[in-house]
Amino acid sequence: MATPTGERAAMLSKLGLDRQNGATLGRLLANGNVGQAEEGPDGRMRATIRIRPDELIWDPSVLVLPHGGDLDLELLNDDLNTHCALLPSNGDSQFIWLVNHSRGTASLNLDGPGYYWFGSPTGNDEGRGLTGAIVVLGEVPPEARLDRPAQPRP
Amino acid sequence: MAEYVDAGHAVDWASLSGVVGSAPPAVQNVTYERILRARSEPQNWLTYYGAYDGQRYSPLEQINTENVRRLSPAWVFQCGPAGLEAGASTYAFEAAPIVVDGVMYVTGWDGWVWALDARTGQELWRHKHATPFDTSLCCGNVNRGVAVAKGKVFMVSPNAHVLALDAVTGKSVWDKTNGDVRAGESATVAPLIVKNLVIVGSSGGEFGVRGHLDAFDLETGEHAWRTYTVPKPGEPGSETWPADGEAWARGGGNPWITCTYDPDLNLLYFGTGNPAPDFDGEVRPGDNLYTDSVIAVNPDNGEMRWHYQHNPHDLWDYDSISENILFDLDGRKLMGHFNKNGYAYVLDRTDGALVRVFPFVDRITWGEVDPNGKVTPKVYPEKEGDPVHFYPGPGGGKEWTHAAYSPKTQLFYVPVQDVGATATRRRREFKESIPYWGAGVAVDSENMAGSVSAFDPATGQEAWRWRNEVPMCASVLATGGDLVFAGEPSGEFNAFNARTGELLWQFQCGSGHHSSPTTYSVGGRQYVAVPSGWGGWIEGFAPGMLAGTRGAALFAFALPE
Repeated sequence: MATPTGERAAMLSKLGLDRQNGATLGRLLANGNVGQAEEGPDGRMRATIRIRPDELIWDPSVLVLPHGGDLDLELLNDDLNTHCALLPSNGDSQFIWLVNHSRGTASLNLDGPGYYWFGSPTGNDEGRGLTGAIVVLGEVPPEARLDRPAQPRP
Repeated sequence: MAEYVDAGHAVDWASLSGVVGSAPPAVQNVTYERILRARSEPQNWLTYYGAYDGQRYSPLEQINTENVRRLSPAWVFQCGPAGLEAGASTYAFEAAPIVVDGVMYVTGWDGWVWALDARTGQELWRHKHATPFDTSLCCGNVNRGVAVAKGKVFMVSPNAHVLALDAVTGKSVWDKTNGDVRAGESATVAPLIVKNLVIVGSSGGEFGVRGHLDAFDLETGEHAWRTYTVPKPGEPGSETWPADGEAWARGGGNPWITCTYDPDLNLLYFGTGNPAPDFDGEVRPGDNLYTDSVIAVNPDNGEMRWHYQHNPHDLWDYDSISENILFDLDGRKLMGHFNKNGYAYVLDRTDGALVRVFPFVDRITWGEVDPNGKVTPKVYPEKEGDPVHFYPGPGGGKEWTHAAYSPKTQLFYVPVQDVGATATRRRREFKESIPYWGAGVAVDSENMAGSVSAFDPATGQEAWRWRNEVPMCASVLATGGDLVFAGEPSGEFNAFNARTGELLWQFQCGSGHHSSPTTYSVGGRQYVAVPSGWGGWIEGFAPGMLAGTRGAALFAFALPE
């Protein structure tokens, strides 16, 4: 039986799907908080993502950008274990080690629209819950759109 | 609370590898004039098909019928990914490696491109265009290769960008968006350099887009022209679409394979894809120009000069995207094309006149094409909910993987797929970005066959055939050593005698072949390079091999030193 959206959080909690070693061994992917990047006057975006103690989840685990472009990211590891981040970016993915209680930064460039996964590629951090998504909103530039009348979308 | 430890700033993933970080400036002096004469420098593979004529033939003959049995791996480049990638179960290693003066440039899937030392396989640089995980990819996360010229490497990304990279560093020079991913567009084609232009085609025909080819200034990325393959109302060809409604706007026709080019006639020859929806023709009555056609296009302005439509009002997903191979016979300028519908076409490339048409696959039940090119459909999804079975299936008697032509033997060598399918028409409403097929389709996973077949274009007669139990789904390479190379879905990479079809040599690469092998030489030693990485639209062309082992390796073979 399907669960109405409004009851989703309660159902996840009831089933133990909102924590480590509850129903699952780890944490369902991209199932945590949703956050939005801020945009500066120059169009660059910035955001902070944390790793909460013993939760093995990015917070936010879904970061939403208003459009494609450059993102300045602050990464905080508040956990008591070492993790890392492999982040999508045009040209090459960006990597950083995040030892216990550390702060780092990353500069990303993404096109969008669409979404990209990022994760902590050590041990099975990615499977335990340290897999997050960066969502880029918006449309492609007008010159890249098809010459046709507006079409229906789902 | 203790202060945070300073973790610093994130670094390029490649910096934590053995990558050199730069390549010799081999591409600096690659010009249009050099590409025009590409076959005169056989040590290099300068452009997608090896030369503008699309023959996929190299005069190199160090490796030949007498010594090929001693061919061995010289090096292997492995490129398995880290992290999640789009279409994780459908990626394939499809590219044709380009080689310039000892440096190889090859794309992978998901936005990857590498520069390698063509003698040792050492990774010189890498570039990864970040690809949205949710990009619409009808037929796998794939890319077919690069173009190179004037110090730059050109490629497309799955999310429909056209990229120019510095050939020495792999860094971005320019980046243009060339398609609408929200409409279901993507890009998979290897670009072609003609004069000062980078020429590309679009992908996305299964999502009801409107196909187009585009040209960009290779230095600046400035958009030079766009030509749509489906006309708007009032344009020539629009009379082949319904006058009412917007079938034309969703009509498909994507030219998703690299064109060939005749510099004397100054014409590009693009194959175009299926109309959309693929199997429900009732919503698009008419011939549906210029889908399933070869179109001859002026590269200077994108103007269409002539067309020949192989499959008017296609009902079987029989794209005509396959290459048009240019060759001359008895003083006549011709082109050869092996269509998904199971027929081979020889056309006069000056005006598109049909010279000869003949079947190249055993089982053809969808209909027939008479010697004048007249098409008579027999079996097709006509009634809603009524399954029909036909040969070849939508993967075609031959799909995009390329044939070769040897001017030495004057034979075509064709990778043949003999597989049927059942389609059941199911009408659906069009919605942007949602697959728009108009049928449920199941391709046969049993009772399939394949071959590498040699044909004489002067007569249409089959000269020889090497039979396989499963379809042959990789491009063929012909060489001056009287050899024909072709890989199998089960991983074997084969060398055949070009005159007899005798299997002379075989190497198991560990994963199936769905790519385009090339050949080159460095320091006087000939190599044959082949990407091995089974994947793509397997359920369309060889579903009986859907669980074939995946891989991500590029092999280079040579004779022992």
